Amino acid sequence: MKLHPRRKSNPDEYIAVSQKDKKYKILNPFSEEIIINSKKTDIKIFESDDGFTYLLYKNKKYLVEITEKSQNKYTVMINGVSYSFTVESPISYMRKKYLDKQQVQCKIEKVNAPMPGKIIELLVEENAEIKEGEPIAILEAMKMQNEISSHVSGRVKKIHVRQNDSVAKGELIIEIER
Amino acid sequence: MKIKSLLIANRGEIVIRIASTAKKLDIKIFGIKTSREPNAYYLRFVDEIIDFSQDQEELPEYLDIERIIEAAKERGIQAIHPGYGFLAESPYFAERCEEEKIIFIGPSASAIYKMGNKTIAKQIATKQKVPLLQGSIGNVRNHSEAIEIADKIGYPVILKAAAGGGGRGMRIVEKESQMERMFRTAASEAEKAFNDSSLFIEKYVKNPRHIEFQIIGDKFGNYIHLGERECSIQRKHQKLIEESPSVAINDRLRSEMGNAAIRIARAVNYFNAGTVEFLLDADKKYYFMEMNTRIQVEHPVTEIVTNTDLIELQIIVAENKKLPVKQDDINIKGWAIECRINAEDVQGGFSPSLGTIRRIAYPRGKNIRIDTGVTDMSVVTPYYDSMIAKLIVYGESRKKVLNSCMNALKKFWISGIKTTIPFCIQVMNHKKFKKGDFNTSFIEKELKKPYYQESTDEMLAAYVAAFDFAADLENDRTAFINFEHGKNISPWVLKKRIRSL
Repeated sequence: MKLHPRRKSNPDEYIAVSQKDKKYKILNPFSEEIIINSKKTDIKIFESDDGFTYLLYKNKKYLVEITEKSQNKYTVMINGVSYSFTVESPISYMRKKYLDKQQVQCKIEKVNAPMPGKIIELLVEENAEIKEGEPIAILEAMKMQNEISSHVSGRVKKIHVRQNDSVAKGELIIEIER
Repeated sequence: MKIKSLLIANRGEIVIRIASTAKKLDIKIFGIKTSREPNAYYLRFVDEIIDFSQDQEELPEYLDIERIIEAAKERGIQAIHPGYGFLAESPYFAERCEEEKIIFIGPSASAIYKMGNKTIAKQIATKQKVPLLQGSIGNVRNHSEAIEIADKIGYPVILKAAAGGGGRGMRIVEKESQMERMFRTAASEAEKAFNDSSLFIEKYVKNPRHIEFQIIGDKFGNYIHLGERECSIQRKHQKLIEESPSVAINDRLRSEMGNAAIRIARAVNYFNAGTVEFLLDADKKYYFMEMNTRIQVEHPVTEIVTNTDLIELQIIVAENKKLPVKQDDINIKGWAIECRINAEDVQGGFSPSLGTIRRIAYPRGKNIRIDTGVTDMSVVTPYYDSMIAKLIVYGESRKKVLNSCMNALKKFWISGIKTTIPFCIQVMNHKKFKKGDFNTSFIEKELKKPYYQESTDEMLAAYVAAFDFAADLENDRTAFINFEHGKNISPWVLKKRIRSL
């Protein structure tokens, strides 16, 4: 890895990295000269009297809301759709890239609850071989029963819930070893 | 007899909808306050609140028949409107009202019972020579019996809860190997939702349209139909977008299906408003599915194109009066579309999006009707269904309506929770939907992505994240500078710094 210890760092440069690893390099976010991915972009952000936060871009108003924020991890909702980013400075971005490279490819696939609800039935047992698309559990939410299926083929490593457990959204249900 | 007092035994937007008509008719309105939603918006639209919020009862408030009856009797309330869901299709509730001489705004207990039982309903449809789908005669006892019938009528088949509705207790079975598991889940879902695990089976028509007819009858045997509603935009049998009229129905078919709907209603001496649901296949053949014996969520589109107030007609019929309109008075004019705004995360598989609505702003316009159950700071709880509002847009033609609907959706702003708005925009934007070329498999087959995004949205979101991150850093920096100059520093920080010196 190449380090750039003498790289001239602009204090007003930020890199927002999307979940799909798309990079947005943003220069001077507070100024009149906002540059996003090397292009001058005319955006204004303002909070209005009616309690919403808007963006003004190309003469259009966009409703925006930061729905989640923890350290440098952000979820921003715009027009009702969420986008998640990690925001980095140029230096922390280099470090993150380096660390990501070091991390070994994970072979454990986690299946999380897609919505809050109650586990009505578990359809697999630990150590069972399962195929992609095979149902794992039945989750009841808002009076509907939903099948949760595996998105990979593999072996059930651990089941983290029991029948009739209530689960929160995102709670780990099962681990599958590929 | 004129109804002077009315208890609305429901919650959310439908209470506000019923209350608006009741107010117009000078009826005193009673509503129920519950412990789960003691500050609900609908309570602002009733004249008197019946407070159940302090009681700790086993049964949910809106399902506790005896408590509701008792509350109505204590206050001398003349009539009860059940809305939709909860007790709206409980024959026992209608019967208890009859016994206690309270006017139930809906059909008779016996009509609810007969239409609520899918097996009896199908027998009635057969007798009335209304086409229906091949299937089991009566309920199926177990999965092996289901397999036997499926072998006869051919796969795919659909398992349905005999007492069902709203998509619960329903499973499509493509092949024999799925039957056992599907039977089990459908039965347990039916048991939970309706207290009755019985299932029946029928041939599954692939890719049909869901077309339903609004009817209303009085107690003197007069019936009218108010045209169709196209409800094919569904996900897991839950309707999301409805319109009236339907591009698939011409005048001839409308009058044929409307008359079929009336025949079924007449056969059970039905009175009050009801909806007869049909499947319409690609060859424009229709099949009776079921009758809903209540006012429906999507009733506004019918009200608009027929220029009627269905709640008012319901009340008139319940007052033992004759229907004030005849079939010839009903002309379908213009086009109306309804988008259900549900508190759901369309990016996360339409999972419930719970929380507090920080702020809500509605689109405005003379062609826009909003039926809502929420306001700023309303809480979306997991206890009830996820629908928070309905956007109804109307105009001269379908094309114009789709356009104004899309614009209205883009001006419908909610912060604090996620909703189905990006989904609705995506549908309005879809080529096949615009052309009217769609059926009940539209979401599954045609909608590659269930939400609308503009190409620059992600970049704008990235900017917001970077802006906030930078602002936080900036705040830290200024706080530090202020300390160096010994001004504007909070005493708490100063004390800490001094201690550490």
